[in-house]
Amino acid sequence: MSNEVALLSSAALLGTAVTALYSKRVSISLIMLFYSSVILGVVFTFYGSALIGVLHIITFAGAVSVMLLTAVLMTGESNLSIGAGAAKASLIGAALVLATVASSLLFGGLPSNLGAQPTPSPLAVLQFIWLYRPWDLLIMLMIFASSMVVVVNLFSKEGR
Amino acid sequence: MSTATAIVFLGLGGISASKNLLKTVMSFQIVVFGVNLALFASGLGGQSGLVSDSLVFFSIVAGASVEAVGIAIVVNVFRKYGTLNPSEIRKLRH
Repeated sequence: MSNEVALLSSAALLGTAVTALYSKRVSISLIMLFYSSVILGVVFTFYGSALIGVLHIITFAGAVSVMLLTAVLMTGESNLSIGAGAAKASLIGAALVLATVASSLLFGGLPSNLGAQPTPSPLAVLQFIWLYRPWDLLIMLMIFASSMVVVVNLFSKEGR
Repeated sequence: MSTATAIVFLGLGGISASKNLLKTVMSFQIVVFGVNLALFASGLGGQSGLVSDSLVFFSIVAGASVEAVGIAIVVNVFRKYGTLNPSEIRKLRH
């Protein structure tokens, strides 16, 4: 079961990545990028790291996708049309399948025989970081804070 | 691990070949995905995956921060030059 899931998720990841990179429309690239972030989050969850999976989905499928969508709308690079009826139907169907799998894995819990090695508790990662890598946490916070300062500084130059 | 390597090289190819700065940012995101997957896969065979999980945690935060800065730069470049094509921007600079 684990091998089949690994193969399927690898194929889905590669397919969405290739489509995102080589699609002519930026809107299709954005949707495929969203799908690949959700698939990667599901893979992390399936292999026992629910915290990393949820964080990945929240960060990349949530925040970064919205930022990219805002950038696309601000620059007017795409009219956000996703093509003909068949393409729309397939995209909506893929989204429904992904949402079902992601929600069942994230909120339904995994049977103990699936996945490679489930971690004892999702919070064990945070405890490990807090106990053994606090300086890394501080550096990460500094990187995050400085990037937010840079973003605010760049957007505050509007009209100058 | 092979999937992660393929995704990283796909993203690097996208960065070098893209004619749109937004696509470049998206390609960078795909590289980050590949790196996250490689870090996660490196901890699957060992006794404890906590080290690899914490590295993926740091990589997610760092990648999102870099992307936020990249998107802000792209929007500013579009406001200044009116295009997102790197070669046109290079011509407009001179």
